[in-house]
Order: sequence, then C-alpha cells, then structure tokens
Amino acid sequence: MGPKRKIKSGHVGADSTRVDAPDKVRGRAVYTDDIDVPGCWYGKVVRSPVAHGRLRSLKRDEEFDWSRVSVVLPDDIPGKNIADLFIHDMPFIAHDEINYLGEPLALVAAPDRELAEEAARHFHPDIEELPGIFHMEEIVDLYKKQDSSLHSLGEQTTVKGDIEKGFSEADMIVTGEYWAGYQEQLYIEPQAMIAEMTDDGGVFIRGSLQCPYFINPELCLTLNLPPEKIRVKQEMTGGAFGGKEEYPTLIAGYCALLAMKSRHPVKIVFDRNEDILFTTKRHPSWGRLKTGLKKDGTITAIHAELLLNGGAYTTISRVVLARGILHAAMGYRCDNVFVDGRIFKTHTFPCGAFRGFGAPQATWAFESHIEELAKACGMLPQEFRRKNCLVQGDVTPTGMVLKDSVGSPAVLDQVLDRSDFAKKLKQSSRGNPKHKKWYGIGLAFFAHGSGFTGDGEARFKAKGAVELDWIEPNHPGVNIRISSTEMGQGAFTIMDQIAADAISIPLDDVRCPLPDTSLCPNSGPTVASRTTMVVGHTVHGAGLKLKAALEEFASKEVFEGRPVVLENGRFVCSGEALPFRQIAASYLDKHGRLRTEHQFTLPPDLKWDQSTFKGDAYPAFSWGCNAAEVEVDPLTFEIRLKKVTACFDVGRMINPLNCKAQAEGGLVQTIGYALMEKMGIRNGKYDADRMQTYIVPTMPDIPEFDITFVEYPYEFSPPGAKGIGEMPMDGLAPAIANAIENATGLRCNRIPIMPEDLFTLHRAKHQNG
Amino acid sequence: MKKLEKSDCRFPSTLKEALELLANESTRGRLLAGGSDLMVQWAAGMEPPPRVISIKGLKELQGIKEDDGAVVIGAGVTHAHIRSSKPVQKHLPALAAAAATVGGPQIQALGTIGGNVANASPAGDLAPALLITGGEAVVASRTGERTIPLTKFFLAYRRIDLKPDEMIVRFVLPKRAAGEIEVFRKLGTRAAQAISKVMCAARFSVKAGSFETCAVALGSVGPTTVRLPKLEEWIIGKSASEETLAEVEKRASDEVSPIDDIRSTAEYRKWVSGRLVRFLLES
Ligand SMILES: Cc1cc2nc3c(=O)[nH]c(=O)nc-3n(C[C@H](O)[C@H](O)[C@H](O)COP(=O)(O)OP(=O)(O)OC[C@H]3O[C@@H](n4cnc5c(N)ncnc54)[C@H](O)[C@@H]3O)c2cc1C
Repeated sequence: MGPKRKIKSGHVGADSTRVDAPDKVRGRAVYTDDIDVPGCWYGKVVRSPVAHGRLRSLKRDEEFDWSRVSVVLPDDIPGKNIADLFIHDMPFIAHDEINYLGEPLALVAAPDRELAEEAARHFHPDIEELPGIFHMEEIVDLYKKQDSSLHSLGEQTTVKGDIEKGFSEADMIVTGEYWAGYQEQLYIEPQAMIAEMTDDGGVFIRGSLQCPYFINPELCLTLNLPPEKIRVKQEMTGGAFGGKEEYPTLIAGYCALLAMKSRHPVKIVFDRNEDILFTTKRHPSWGRLKTGLKKDGTITAIHAELLLNGGAYTTISRVVLARGILHAAMGYRCDNVFVDGRIFKTHTFPCGAFRGFGAPQATWAFESHIEELAKACGMLPQEFRRKNCLVQGDVTPTGMVLKDSVGSPAVLDQVLDRSDFAKKLKQSSRGNPKHKKWYGIGLAFFAHGSGFTGDGEARFKAKGAVELDWIEPNHPGVNIRISSTEMGQGAFTIMDQIAADAISIPLDDVRCPLPDTSLCPNSGPTVASRTTMVVGHTVHGAGLKLKAALEEFASKEVFEGRPVVLENGRFVCSGEALPFRQIAASYLDKHGRLRTEHQFTLPPDLKWDQSTFKGDAYPAFSWGCNAAEVEVDPLTFEIRLKKVTACFDVGRMINPLNCKAQAEGGLVQTIGYALMEKMGIRNGKYDADRMQTYIVPTMPDIPEFDITFVEYPYEFSPPGAKGIGEMPMDGLAPAIANAIENATGLRCNRIPIMPEDLFTLHRAKHQNG
Repeated sequence: MKKLEKSDCRFPSTLKEALELLANESTRGRLLAGGSDLMVQWAAGMEPPPRVISIKGLKELQGIKEDDGAVVIGAGVTHAHIRSSKPVQKHLPALAAAAATVGGPQIQALGTIGGNVANASPAGDLAPALLITGGEAVVASRTGERTIPLTKFFLAYRRIDLKPDEMIVRFVLPKRAAGEIEVFRKLGTRAAQAISKVMCAARFSVKAGSFETCAVALGSVGPTTVRLPKLEEWIIGKSASEETLAEVEKRASDEVSPIDDIRSTAEYRKWVSGRLVRFLLES
C-alpha cells in the first residue's frame, strides 16, 4: 500500500488555472518579436553552404555598400572565439574548419531585416570541401567494425555486479537493436533575442529562453565581460521543450557581438525555416541490448549500449548521454548490469536538449526489448513486467536503494486495471487475415529521474527568494524571485500556489515575474523535471521564512508581543485578526521591501560517484506506465492510435489540472516521435525543413486519453513534488511499437514507425516464408 | 504580406476586365484566387511576380449549377463549398469526399477548385475525383472560350494546357449514371493537414455480377494525376469476384510508376496503389 493519497491544504493540490493564460489567449502577451526597442537593428547569420570543409577565404562583394551595415568576423570578437558550452570545442564563428552546414561564418546587422538579409547574400565563402559523416547508420556501421575513424564526443559507463557471471547463469540470451530518429522541438515561437549595450559597457540580453543563468556566464569568455555586466532577462516564451536550453547562448551571443560592434540594440528572430534548419534536435540514437534470462523470467544480466549522434560539436551532449545511460536499463530488478554510452560526431548541427533528454531514446530501446524478453520466456508482457519491476527497497542499476516515494508497481497496476489490459491483449489481431482492422494493445513501464543527475543538486545549491513588495499600486503582495522560466508548462502557476500556501495568503497576493538575472538568485536552469521539486522547495522554504518574519513584525508592532499566526490571509492573535494586506502595507511603509531566500539541500546520506556513475542517480524517480491501443489497416498499413491509458507517480501533485496538461502535451509530442516526425539528412541538411514536410500530430490524430496519477510524495522536499515535465515523452513510443506488434505480428525496431516500414517488414516476412 | 508590396496588384471587378488584363502582355499577371498555394510559395522565398491579378470573388467564377447531365462548378468555388454542396454530394460524391480532405477548415475556406487544378501538383487532391468524371475544363480568354477534356488538361508536372492569356472559368462534370458508384480515398502522414502520399478515386458500375463501367484515377504516383486506361479496359465484363480483384490489385500496381520523396517511398506507393484500387472497386 502506498501512503495516503490526498494531502490537501489550500492551494497546493488543487486545480488552478494558469496565471499566464488570460494574456496569452487574448493575444496580449508580449513576445520578443513584439518588443520595439528604439534604434534597434536587425541581425543575420551568414552561414556555411557546406557541411564539412576548410574555409580558405570569405570574400565580400565590393559593389555592396558595406557602410550601411555592421559586420562581425572572428577578429571582431572581444574575447575568445569559443562558444563556452560545457566543452570548448566549438568556435562562435567558424574561421578554419567548418563542421556543419549552416555554421556561422560572419554576423551582419542592419537597420532593417531586408537589408541585413541582402548583406548576408553578398558574402562568398571559398571553402575546400571535405568528406563528411552524417547518419546514425554510418556511425553504427563503423562502431560495429570498431573503426577508429569514428570521432567520439564523450562516453560513460556504469557497472553493477558481474555481467559475465550474470550471463553464465542465464538459460537464454536475448538481443535486440533499436533505432530512434531526430525530433524537432517545434515550439510555437521561433528563437528570438535582443541585445543592447548598457551605459556601464555591459550588455542587456532579453529574449525567448529557458535558462537565464546559462547565458550569463557562458558569454563572459566570448564577450570578455565579467558576469555582472551581462544581464539576462527572459521575455514571454512561446514554448521551448529543451530547444531554448543551451541554444539561446548562441543567438544571444550573435546579438551581443553585433550590438557591441554596431553600437545599436540588435534583434534576431528566426523564421520557421531557419529555426528548423539551424537549431538543435533530439539526438538520433541506436541502442543494443543483450539480456540473460532464466526460464522463469528472472533477469540475470543486462548489457546495454546506447549511441547518440551528437552532431558537429559536443555542446550539451554529455549531459544528455548521462541521463540516457541512467535510464538505459532502469526499472527492473537485475544484479548484473553493464551500461555503455557513447556520443559520436557527425557533420550536422549539434544535437541538444529536448524534453526527456536521453531518457526517451533509452526507454524506447529498453521497453521494446522488455517485450522481447517476455516473449522469450513465454510470459505475458504484463506478467513479465509485474514480476521484474523495481519496487520499494529494490536497488537500481547504479546501486541506488529505492527507499521511499516509489510509485511502482502502483502505476503499472493502475494501467493494467484501467485499460483492461489482459483482456484486450487477448483480443489483439496479430496480423490475423480474417480481421478487417488489426487491433493491438501494448505496454510500457518506466521511471524518470527528477532533478539533476546524482549529487548535482547538492553541489548546485539552487536558491529561490520571495519578496514582500508593492505588486501593484496600493496592493502589497509577494513577488517570487527565481530564475526558473515560464515557457507554457505552467511553472509560474505552481510557484504561486506553493508560495501562497507557504505564506498562507490568497493567490491574488502572489505573482511570479519573468526572471531577470539582476533581480533573481540562481535557482538553476528550467530543465530536468526539476523546477517543481527543487525550485518549488526553495520557494516553499523562502515563503515560510517570510511568513515567520511577518508574524514577528505583527507580533511586535501590532499585538504587543503576543504570538501571531498568519493564516489564510489574516494575522490571527488570540481571537483577533487583521488582514494580510494591512500588516504588509505597514511593514513596507516602515522597512521597505522584505526579501527571504531559501536554498535546496539533499539528504546527507545521498551518495554519488561521478567517475563511476554509481550511487544515488537522482534525488528521486517519478514512475509511469502507458498502454497504447492501435488500429492498423491491413489494406494500407496505416496506423491509428485509438487510446492511451497512462498513469504517473509524480510525487505530490501541486496542481492536478496542470499535471494532466503536461501529461497530455507530452504524450501528443510522443505520438509525433513514434509515428510521424521523420527527419533525415540530405546533402548535409535536414530534409524536412518546414512545417509542410515536418509532420507533427494535429487534433484529429489525438486518441482518447485516460490519464491518472498515484501520489507517492518526495517527503524530503516539501511540498513533496517530483518531476513530471519530461516523463510523458518516455514510454509511449515503445508502448505503441509493442501495440503494433500485437496488432500486426510485425516488430518495428525503429521510430518513427510508418506504414512504409510495416510494408517492408511484411514483405520481408512473406518472402522468407 | 510584405513581399507583395513590390508587385503591381490588380483587383478586376468582372471576368471581362480580368481577361482584358490577361490579354495584354504589359498588364498580364499571376492569377491569385484563394492564395493558399501562392502565398506559401512566396513566403518560402520564391520571388513574387511583378504583377498579380486577384480573381478572388469574381462572380462569374462562383456557383455550382446543375443541368441534365452535368454539374457545373465555377473555378472560384472553394473546397468548403464543394464538400457541402448537395448536387456534388449526390452526383459527384468522390469530389465531395476529396474536397473534405484538403488541408483543414481554414484552407478549405480559402482554396479553390481552379487553384487546385491550375497548381497542377500531382498531390492535388481534387484531380483524381475530377478525372474519373470524364468531364471538361472550360477556359476563357478575351477572344472566347475553349473546352478541354480533363484527361488531356494535365500535361506534365505542374503544367496544364492553358495559354498565357487564358484562365479556367468552370468545370463541366458529368453526373454519375444511375447504378454508378463513386469513391475516394486519400493516404496521408496524419489525419488532417496532410499532403497525399497516394490518393485514388473510382467511378464504376457492376451489373449482373460483372463490371460494366470503370474509371480509376490515382494521384501522387507520377508527375501528374493519372487514369489507369489499361486496367479500365481490362476489367469491363469481368466478374466482380475475388480473383478479379486480386488481378486488379496487381494490374493497378503495375500500371503506376511512382517515385521516392519526402512523404513516401516508390515501393510502398506502387504496392498501396494496387491495394487502394482494389479496395475502392470492392466497395
Ligand atoms: C496548410 C495547407 C494545406 C494544404 N492542404 C492541401 C491538401 O490537403 N490537398 C490539396 O490538394 N491541396 C492542399 N493545399 C494546397 C492548396 O490549398 C490547394 O491546392 C488550393 O485548392 C489552391 O487554391 P487557391 O485558390 O488557394 O490557389 P492560389 O494559390 O490562388 O493559386 C494557385 C495556382 O493556380 C492559379 N490559378 C488560380 N485560379 C486560377 C484560374 N481560375 N485559372 C487559372 N489559374 C488559376 C494561380 O495563378 C496559381 O498558379 C494546402 C495548402 C496549405 C497552405
């Protein structure tokens, strides 16, 4: 039995509509492109037309009037020509070797967009073209041949037990290879940024971004400015999904370099085509699994390899790989595990952060493989998972003991029950020629680590603050000061709920302004499903401190030293009560603004070894299970997703409505990943480079959803939330593939799965008898 | 649209006026109906033409009329109008079905039948449904009208039999005969807003267990939408049996030569063409 499910107090745990919704639905929200900065110029990146080569020279047309524009070349960079993203292997502007098509060769700014674009056309690079490597297939081919020409951008292993011993104890060994393609974030608002010089010689950067404190300090090296001279402010952001995690440092750098050179504010807003072609994607991946099994379904050994196509430079790929390998064999009991992850270079745009961050690729491979394991030992998929899934007290592949907050097997049981899985599995068609439509149901079970890897949060020490201030004329209230961003996921609504509850005041008296590094402490990036759990905790702690300080003030100044409690917006003292706003106003009149801060900590017994990747991989895991029901048309192999039954344990739900919205949105994004969003490389370029060719789901593709939650709060960190943002991306792709197999009898080991793939598999099956 | 600022845009108020503009080389311009093909091309970077003639709303291009044997559809009629038109639903159900699959509601409200045909994309969804009717396009210039069978209208990839001073004014589409069945099916990568991988329309009748008439057209399987004359000829008189249908599948597949592109593969298209034709003739 899990702990008590309903823990409600005030706003936390209640459905609350999004605080940012009214402005957005009315079209009043102001996005970066809407901001008119006086004297603002427009920036444009001059890009390499070849994917791999050596830049001999960059010529410019002499007839063009260059005095009307401002140009930044590598020599104009005040600091080092290095993009300071984790590893220093990428120049800000290419000057010698070119490693991907579209790599910046120069920057240009002009008073208007047309002129900037025109100027960019007057550059003529002379490039010695070199052969390139582009596809995951090429990587895997060379990897299997152990060819040393493969260029590694990073690798990591984690080992548990003795893998050889594990295989020697097995009755059978099952292997499989699983491929996943690119995925484009396709946020509604393309990348957009503005930079302007400030009076003190610094720069002010504002735009559509996820992580203000990434840009500062990452631009210090390039701009040759100390961090305090780089101010970063988030503007209203129309979606991000990881695509505005590390990439904005580059576009911010382009704007800043151009602003410093031209002495004008500079804005860059990509159009959709440029945004798709020249920003990050989810890493294509290949996973190979080899698992030892006993006849009764006991897993004796798991050997997992996970390869990522990193693109041309390292950027954030090692962090993605870390999450990937921590999920590559996660979720099931096994004493002997060997996980090996590698990133390889290709001459393509560097891949980057995308909701799930390596876990969807890992879970895709592993949950497809689990289905094969069940088959190999003659068990039903649900039986096999139920037998082997990790539960409280079990040990993960990195040696983490799951002490508490373990929503397994609850999520699995809930989905099996609500979807009527056992019965529907029996009804599955398995390619029966008598069925007019092939029906199939498929399952996936998974966990997703919340927060930074290992002791990352302990080392990072995220801080959040709340501030008593005038939030409107005559309206004393509380501003939440965190560097977490609202990008459509509902973070600010949740922070308002947490702060309002901690202080015990109405939601109306709290607000969360867009973060600005000059006003907010560093609560870390808005990534890794960490915001509610980690930053929510800091806001909660800061709120309690503010509450205590105000109670003390009220006690001293109003209630003659008697104990006072701030409760539901009223200061209560032995039967008497005064409204929050009255006391708050008198505090502000007397002392001015009051700010309290709180820092996130982790339990002292959390242990993590970064070199061996052993120990407590995350502060906590969220748990999830999906059942997908599909219909395949035997006539055409068209695939329709009919229903998804999903259950998640995300700890304590701060806002159930928003949890459901996150789950739905993530599942929809995964429908695209699993069934539609095909993107290849042709002549060094993404072939699906616009919304006409990059196919994402639209409303009629969305199936019936049955989404429920079970609550296993993370007790160490009040108010007890774990992460939800990424987890809906993890399990649906393998659940769909498993369902398709049950419908057609055809196993697809590659996503996205298209009718064309089923046709090829079907033909191969028939040709081979 | 900023990019059109440099173009000379004309808004004739009658067909005569529009044809006058077309007749004269110095005033001739690109015809703009719903703009749902053109605006996209221009936004994607294609240089807009120096002159544009808007024919949106020209009364002479509107309306769906019925005479004894045919339904007459103005070139300026939108997909939304076509899909909801009673005469089209009754006499040309494949066309009504095809119009209902174009893009989404917004595109259907803008896009026109004339634009869809003139754009002459092999993925244009209306073309197969038009081709099976054995109907005609009527084109006009200042000097008069010309009538061209639709089967001869599509010349090559994105080219129709239209002279620079002409425009399409209407389509004359024979009604299906009593006993004739019309069906349409489109395959796309998603349920809406999908450009076809393959689409297929058929008009046929079965009498006393045998195929009596048959017209089949497929789109997205070649540079233009095609009819399958060999199959159509072969099937007449054959019994509507399982063996015939198996043979239909094979023959239809053999009769098309599609290509690989971003939306699908040649192999799948070839195979599924046979499957679709079989499916339609089964219904
Ligand atoms: C999001 C989106 C989705 C779409 N989905 C589909 C789809 O699913 N299926 C599909 O088939 N199409 C689709 N289209 C394409 C387009 O909407 C249709 O082809 C539409 O019917 C074009 O008509 P229009 O009036 O908008 O043409 P316009 O863009 O105005 O014109 C198209 C071409 O036809 C010419 N033209 C227009 N009228 C005449 C005339 N009377 N005589 C001679 N030439 C003429 C123009 O000069 C131009 O060359 C889609 C487009 C978009 C933007």
